[in-house]
Amino acid sequence: MAKDAVAREIVFALRRQIAKIEGTLPECLEAPARADITVVRRGGQAEGNDALSNRALASLALSTGAGCLDAALGGGLPQGALTEIHGLETRDAGAVTGFVLALAGLAVGAAQGEAGLATPIVWIGMTETFGEAGFPYARGLQSSFGVGPESLLFCEARKLADALWIAEEAARLSTSAAVVLEIRGNPRRLDLTATRRLHARAQQTGRPLFLLRQAALAEPTAAPVRLVVLPAPSGLRETVAGPLTGSIGLPAFAVSISKSAYASNGQFILEWNPDERIFMERGAGERSAGEIRAKDPFAVVSLPRHGADSAAAPGAVVAFKPALGRQARKPAAGDQPPRPQRAAHRGARRAG
Amino acid sequence: MISHRDRNAQRIAALDERAEALGLKRGMGIADARAMHPAIDIEEADAQADRLLLEGLADWCDRYTPLVALDGADGLFLDIAGCAHLFGGERAMLDTMLTRFLQQGFIARAGIASAAGAAWAAARFASGSIVAVGEEAALLAPLPLSALRIEPAVRESLESVGLRRVGAVMATPRAPLARRFGALLLERLDQALGRSDEAVSPRLPAAPLSVERHLAEPITQIEEIERLTASLSQTLKHDLERRGEGARALGLMLFRVDGAVSQIAIGTSRPLRDPLLIQKLFHERLAATGQEYEVGYGFDLVRLSVLSVAAFDMQQTDLTGEIKDAEADIALFADRVRARLGDNAVRRPISVASHLPERSIALVAFTDAPASKSKNRVPSISLSERPVRLFRSPEPVEVPATELPEGPPLHFRWRRALYRVVRAEGPERIAPEWWRESIPDAMAKEGEDAGEVKNRAVAEKTASLTRDYFRIEDAEGRRYWLFRQGLYDAGRTSPRWFMHGIFA
Repeated sequence: MAKDAVAREIVFALRRQIAKIEGTLPECLEAPARADITVVRRGGQAEGNDALSNRALASLALSTGAGCLDAALGGGLPQGALTEIHGLETRDAGAVTGFVLALAGLAVGAAQGEAGLATPIVWIGMTETFGEAGFPYARGLQSSFGVGPESLLFCEARKLADALWIAEEAARLSTSAAVVLEIRGNPRRLDLTATRRLHARAQQTGRPLFLLRQAALAEPTAAPVRLVVLPAPSGLRETVAGPLTGSIGLPAFAVSISKSAYASNGQFILEWNPDERIFMERGAGERSAGEIRAKDPFAVVSLPRHGADSAAAPGAVVAFKPALGRQARKPAAGDQPPRPQRAAHRGARRAG
Repeated sequence: MISHRDRNAQRIAALDERAEALGLKRGMGIADARAMHPAIDIEEADAQADRLLLEGLADWCDRYTPLVALDGADGLFLDIAGCAHLFGGERAMLDTMLTRFLQQGFIARAGIASAAGAAWAAARFASGSIVAVGEEAALLAPLPLSALRIEPAVRESLESVGLRRVGAVMATPRAPLARRFGALLLERLDQALGRSDEAVSPRLPAAPLSVERHLAEPITQIEEIERLTASLSQTLKHDLERRGEGARALGLMLFRVDGAVSQIAIGTSRPLRDPLLIQKLFHERLAATGQEYEVGYGFDLVRLSVLSVAAFDMQQTDLTGEIKDAEADIALFADRVRARLGDNAVRRPISVASHLPERSIALVAFTDAPASKSKNRVPSISLSERPVRLFRSPEPVEVPATELPEGPPLHFRWRRALYRVVRAEGPERIAPEWWRESIPDAMAKEGEDAGEVKNRAVAEKTASLTRDYFRIEDAEGRRYWLFRQGLYDAGRTSPRWFMHGIFA
């Protein structure tokens, strides 16, 4: 027992050392009762009440709703801090964007509850990134993440230096709910110093700053938490009559913690519930549904259109392939074109 | 010597004193001039460059008065009403101006009069003269008719009847003159004599408020410009307070010693009068363009003008002396970003009533966004799912095969990578907005009237632009929004596929 305790002490001391180097909040490692540590850490500065309350806000955690992830992160994502969220490839942009948005939406909810006013999300990106991965589409953000167009503000910069400048200015705003900075790749300017500046600003205001990095490798930054988000096959749509075969259900993410003060790594499959606006860990039921899909992926392709009875057999696909051009002109009997289209097609024939 | 092409012949357009001394004249053919003096130097006239030069001079003249108007190809009107005393009176102003033009390498002629026509004549025929009110007739009487700004044809016909001086025309009865030579002649005469008003339209709109500082010693440092801006805006603040207004757009004009003028304009998203904030905005703008500034020998005149104003609502502070205004923070942030990176750097999405995905959200510059949210206008929640990212323009996708002609693809190739479709939902058909599209002309078939032809053209165009959207999930769980443009139809090329967005 005693040996265990000593070992734990050493581990804690080492972690605190690491946290100090990385610029994270060491008090998170300790029991929450020890609030005086914050004062010690910034002893050189004369601090007012305001700064203290902001610090208190900073140590608050933004709960994601998914118990396992929250527990692994020690209660949730740090509220007033820089959080790195990585996507491995540009085509994963959808998943990463969705995940960040969900978090930002949670932050908006938290900020509104606290201040009682509409606070915007400031989304900063570079022209090149927006061109490559698409521009965030406000309508989609609203329908699935509950972030309305009125609470979004897009900033677009051509150069990275400008984007960082905007991010620093935006992070200084105490009236914004969250700041999202979107950067593609591993530019040299986004180094430890730059991220430390961003992190410090976020700590001061107590608002989350999400650094959304697409197609980037992990490198040393000042962010206390780094998550890697990958897309995960979604579950099935839930209907009254049970899961709908072949449908695409709630957005799912495979989230792994690549860096955290708690150093408990792990991967979690989370689903975003747009109705309740929380993350849920995927349960056992959905997982089995995924297995069904994996067994027979082709039979479901045409289902939504024709209904369950007229699903084409998988073998038919092979037969159609070489004769695709002719097939296009002569639809199968089961695939009647709609009436007006059919009439036009006949009229054209007669004329010819 | 400058030549230009006139009536199919190269003629002399302008020439200097030395050429004149050789006996050459304006309007003479170039071939004749070369025959007389083979050594003359001839340049082709460049009206564009002349115009630019004149505009540059007009910019420079802005330092004397904000009301500067261009007059033809070679003149400037300056409305100096209320400005002359700033430069030590009319005489001193005229002298400084002519001296400074000379120093810059221009020979200028100038005249001051209370009527635009008289000033025009004075500048051209009696340079350096100041015509007092009532003395216009005395000035004009001995001058030739070209002092009246009339058409050459009219002038020639006047001269043909023996009226060679303005005085002669003034002495002639007016009615026969008007009948024979048109009303314009009398109008010009009246304008020159100050009997009728003539509006001179300035190039730039006059700012409602402006403050300027003439510097004895030119400044070169950007920090000095910023400090000067702060002190100028302090002066502006009093005026704005008196009027109960705030600035929506501000312009800073920097007059360089060597005559170049640069203007920096910033817009604000809400009325502004705080000198500190104004200085901050200009600071961003100057910092953004700082490296590209050509300071030269420095700026000797700095003018800060309020280009547009709006009513400024006073807000009461609470007991702690703070104003709770969340939007002010955001507005200032947006203004600073816009001042530094341009108007489109900060944009705000707005719902538009449209079914087309790319049209249903408009991105507007921060200022254009309505301050009050009109929630009752556009139904913003749609039941169908929309992607979180939308490509600026749909990207073409290669689809080798679909199971059914109208069904989702089995595989597709996007950005040179092959994707296997595991699940698909759809289609969701979105037809184009035919009321916006231009309808091509269709050939009328027999027995069709114009209305039917048009309907058929609309139907064909609509069919070719109709999109069927599919939500697609690939083997790795990425979700995409693909659409097929056009319908399968006889005699038409097979529809193309596009990637339009990605889902979370």
